[in-house]
Amino acid sequence: MHDLVSFLPLVITCTGALLLMLYAVCPKAEQEKASLMSMGFFAVAFFAQLLVVCTVSRPLFPETFNGMLGVSGFTNAACLIVYACGFFTTLSSHTYFRENHFATVEFYSLLLFSAVGMVLLSMARELITAFIALEIMSLAIYVLVGFNRASSRSTEAIFKYLILGAFSGAFFCMGTAMIYGAAGSTRFDSIAEWLAFNPATTPLMLGGAFFLLITIFFKISAFPFHAWVLDVYDGSSNPITGFMATALKTAVFAMIANFLALSGNLHDSWITGLFWIAVFTMFGGNLIAIGQDNVKRMIAASGIVHSGYLLIALVAINSEYFSGAVIAYYLAAYSVATLGMFAALSWLGGEGEKRVTFDDFKGLAKRQPLAAATIAVFLLSMAGIPPTAGFMGKFYIITSAISAGQIALGVLGIISSIISMWYYLRLIVSMYFHDAEEDFIVDGSSLASISTVALAVAVFAIGLFPLVL
Amino acid sequence: MIEDYLVLSVILFCIGILGVISRRNVFTVLMSIELMLNAANLAFVAFARLNETMDGQILAMMVIAVAAAEAALGLAVIILLHRQKGRLDSNVFSLLKG
Repeated sequence: MHDLVSFLPLVITCTGALLLMLYAVCPKAEQEKASLMSMGFFAVAFFAQLLVVCTVSRPLFPETFNGMLGVSGFTNAACLIVYACGFFTTLSSHTYFRENHFATVEFYSLLLFSAVGMVLLSMARELITAFIALEIMSLAIYVLVGFNRASSRSTEAIFKYLILGAFSGAFFCMGTAMIYGAAGSTRFDSIAEWLAFNPATTPLMLGGAFFLLITIFFKISAFPFHAWVLDVYDGSSNPITGFMATALKTAVFAMIANFLALSGNLHDSWITGLFWIAVFTMFGGNLIAIGQDNVKRMIAASGIVHSGYLLIALVAINSEYFSGAVIAYYLAAYSVATLGMFAALSWLGGEGEKRVTFDDFKGLAKRQPLAAATIAVFLLSMAGIPPTAGFMGKFYIITSAISAGQIALGVLGIISSIISMWYYLRLIVSMYFHDAEEDFIVDGSSLASISTVALAVAVFAIGLFPLVL
Repeated sequence: MIEDYLVLSVILFCIGILGVISRRNVFTVLMSIELMLNAANLAFVAFARLNETMDGQILAMMVIAVAAAEAALGLAVIILLHRQKGRLDSNVFSLLKG
């Protein structure tokens, strides 16, 4: 019974995706209706996920799935974030497609399919299941990136993303094969048993984990696999960029945290590697972000920096009492701010995304004070100013690093977050301290504007949530 | 004996990586990725034999299914590219500079 309840949100999303796919065939199908339906499915899945109470990690339908899927408190939190991201992405797409006319019903169906992949990925307790979930998610996202078939920018973006994504997917597959060769199984529990008696530094295990990490670093755009992220984010439509930056990262981090927490043995052998990757990701991302003039590319580059902070949390996880609370909290804080930013961009961007650079948002505060205020809240949360969610997230990550003995990493994280103020404050300065050059005439009653306000409230709610507990 | 299969699998994988990195034709790049996936399949089957379990064989089937889906999408994207640019050379992509 518990298993059925835990599985229900996934079934709802999957059914929603299939129903929308069928609805697309219907001659009277309208994309506006489809977007409302998809909002409904995401909302129902979110509330169904809230019903799942899970304190200990346990396998899902152990007889049927043979321990290949599992749930834990961390997985639940990741699923909640994915559904919420899907919901707000649908809201912003609804607005976005009033100005940009290339949506069809399939767009929303693919959004639900990619959410199915993400949820499966965070539930996966077996490497090939994880690979298939990763591909379900990625294939749907590839199509969403290239949805605007008339635009050659988005075609370039999908091509780059598809080739590099499939390339890194092949590494995942090879890594799985090597781990299978070493441990004799691809199930997490069997690998953990094997690791209890064997060192994680046997060549096959080391090579396999290395290949898996390459794929994961690619998907979360960690250094040195971050180069694609600016181009792909820039080439895809605003709502989809927001969805990729948040939900995809959440699912991939959930999977890799579950994998690394398998055994202290495995985690210890990667601490040094993860340490340097985290440092280079943070500072490399900051350097790229400082040089950007385009708001979307700046947010993409800042996403690299946030991956760096999350990698600090990965270094600091304790595999004996793994809860993933720090990672889940930071992901929630980051997702809310980034989604809000992209909801605002979808709404204010206008037809053909004509407002994209820092200069285009000059004087926004004079014409659209509410929009400017919400954007400022999101940017301050990303920069980590109290009392926003971003501050609490960074606080938890840095304290967890220090209590795990990684003091240097904690200090570098603080330095990086100070550097990042530079480019976040630049947009705020341009919105508030310049005169308006245009009127920013936008549809005021749109769903995206409502969702920016809701997300701005959520920034403070998540930020104050730990104080309530 | 089993080692030979593994060596072959590693060689195929390396050829695949080289193909993706050095070739300019988008078809060759896509084929190189398929080669990498098949190298992994060969490794799965060889390890299944080595460990004397059937898991590896089934995992290889799963990977083949995923590779087919990826190839289908890849070909669709190549058609789109050809329609827009008229060429299949990855040098023509210059709009997005990271």
